[in-house]
Amino acid sequence: MKVELRHLSARIHRAPLLEDISVRIDRGELFGLVGPNGSGKSTLMRCLAGLQRPTSGGILVDDADLARMPARHRARRIAFVQQQADTTDRLTVRQAVDLGRIPYLSALRGWGRSDETAVEAALTAVEMTAFAGRLWHTLSGGERQRVHIARALAQDPRLLLLDEPTNHLDIRHQLSLMALVRALPITRVIALHDLNQATACDRIGVLSGGRLVATGLPRDVLNEDLLAEVFGVAATRHAAPDGSPRLHFSHAL
Amino acid sequence: MTMEAAPVRAVTWRGLWLAPVVLGMTILAGTAIGETRLPFVTVLRTLANHLWGAGYPVDGIEAGIIWSYRLPRALVAACCGAGLALTGVVLQALLRNPLADPYLMGLSAGASTGAVLVTVAGLGGGAISMSLGALTGALLAFGCVAVLARAVSGDVGGGRATQAAAALILAGIAGSQLFNALTAFIIARSANAEQARGIMFWLMGNLSGIRWDDVGACMAVSVAGVALCLWHRRGLDAFTFGADGAASLGINVPALRGSLIAATAVMVGVLVSKVGAIGFVGLVVPHAMRFLVGARHDRLVPASALAGAVFLVAADVISRSLVPGQVLPIGVVTALVGAPAFALILVHGARK
Ligand SMILES: Nc1ncnc2c1ncn2[C@@H]1O[C@H](COP(=O)(O)OP(=O)(O)OP(=O)(O)O)[C@@H](O)[C@H]1O
Ligand SMILES: [Mg+2]
Repeated sequence: MKVELRHLSARIHRAPLLEDISVRIDRGELFGLVGPNGSGKSTLMRCLAGLQRPTSGGILVDDADLARMPARHRARRIAFVQQQADTTDRLTVRQAVDLGRIPYLSALRGWGRSDETAVEAALTAVEMTAFAGRLWHTLSGGERQRVHIARALAQDPRLLLLDEPTNHLDIRHQLSLMALVRALPITRVIALHDLNQATACDRIGVLSGGRLVATGLPRDVLNEDLLAEVFGVAATRHAAPDGSPRLHFSHAL
Repeated sequence: MTMEAAPVRAVTWRGLWLAPVVLGMTILAGTAIGETRLPFVTVLRTLANHLWGAGYPVDGIEAGIIWSYRLPRALVAACCGAGLALTGVVLQALLRNPLADPYLMGLSAGASTGAVLVTVAGLGGGAISMSLGALTGALLAFGCVAVLARAVSGDVGGGRATQAAAALILAGIAGSQLFNALTAFIIARSANAEQARGIMFWLMGNLSGIRWDDVGACMAVSVAGVALCLWHRRGLDAFTFGADGAASLGINVPALRGSLIAATAVMVGVLVSKVGAIGFVGLVVPHAMRFLVGARHDRLVPASALAGAVFLVAADVISRSLVPGQVLPIGVVTALVGAPAFALILVHGARK
């Protein structure tokens, strides 16, 4: 799915959170969002998910205005893994993933085989099949995060929004999640804090104080000057054994 | 994606046929047990006589007690129990707060004020019934709470729905306190001792005055309530991870929340206007049922409605027979029975 942000601004209580953001994300692209804490990554994700109305400007998904799209329609195309979402309900992992099928079900259309298949596939993708019967409150933080991702995958989306999905994950699951995300054939927008992980994206956008200060290929964008200016860190770039660029952070400026 | 898909999970309503049976048995028991215990056979014969003119010989007085007093009373108790339990289910799901119940939303407090205004302060000069006063009061209080909640959460809109839920609960607390104070004020100002006693009794829930006239409205709202909740069962499920989670699953959060809470307000308004403010059912029954059947609303809604109905019919029987020669307010029984039961369920659940 093709996504286009046109002069998007968002504010809450007159405090501007996002200002004049324009960017185009191509079909099938993996777009990374990076930026310091409070730079507006989550806010931009919420706008993309249709949870927050921009105060001006707009978002076009496949040339359709997101703001005018009925919620159900939207949920069949766009899935969102929030930065944090928890519940006190007693439900199993499988039931949590089942929620992803809600956009396809109605009061009269019941649970069917395609729903079952989607849920199974989603559980397999995040390696949580063995946990399907476990209760939510018995899961670790990383396991919960993987269930959230499975729920989003069960929505069978064409645009997947992931807000810091590697939080809480151990290194193996971080890598396998990034590999999973990279392999998905759909458009993906992913907010990340680990800049070395961000180099795996097709393109990245750098947010700072609610503005998109740079977009482009990770190796072009993540240079020493930008890292010093936006993130306030001294960094050097060097090549990893496989030849890809790696960032080494030495100290805060 | 493998195509040899897992078998479609069995429909979750396997035990559904049990519901009418259990409910029927409860209502029969509620009709048979009382100050004078009547044999089940008499109850069944009386019902047969009235429902399809079976013509069994039964004692006229006993038949009168069964048909004119106990049966409508048991039916209304069942409807109220189901309705109040459903209200708890809906409010707890939509507001993501385990303490949400009709009390918290100011509904019960408003109903009390309305009833007291009519009976004690003589508002309307006898032209308005206590029921109508209570219904108006409940809706008015709920309106105040909703307006206040909106003012608190402000024009944030656009997805900050979690805060809106918190605002609604805070506003509900403020509204309840205000209307309870108004009720107390009116009673203190203008009630004589006899009236005050009567009104206190009503405030704790009272099924004594129930006749057939009252059954229709209660039945209508509780059946409509069950149907509405079942219709929106997936929408209620979608709130598992909060209002934003629901919105990203394609739920129109303001619309669903608004319509279900408004329906709840009407339901509670009607029920409270008939039987007074019965506490604890809306709070305890949904929690108990979550432990038993899980958090999914396709099972939780029917289970809570059934359990609420059974619980309140049983509570009514106990309230009539616990102290010989005296009827306790049913709210006292629901709290006395409900609180320990709730504690037990909590402890049991924590161990699992
Ligand atoms: N409801 C709100 N009211 C006022 N300010 C808010 C609100 N929500 C977010 N903000 C502010 O907007 C800014 C952007 O927040 P956002 O959550 O988008 O940041 P972020 O880039 O996701 O940060 P992080 O890396 O910490 O997740 C922050 O300064 C935050 O304090
Ligand atoms: Mg964030």
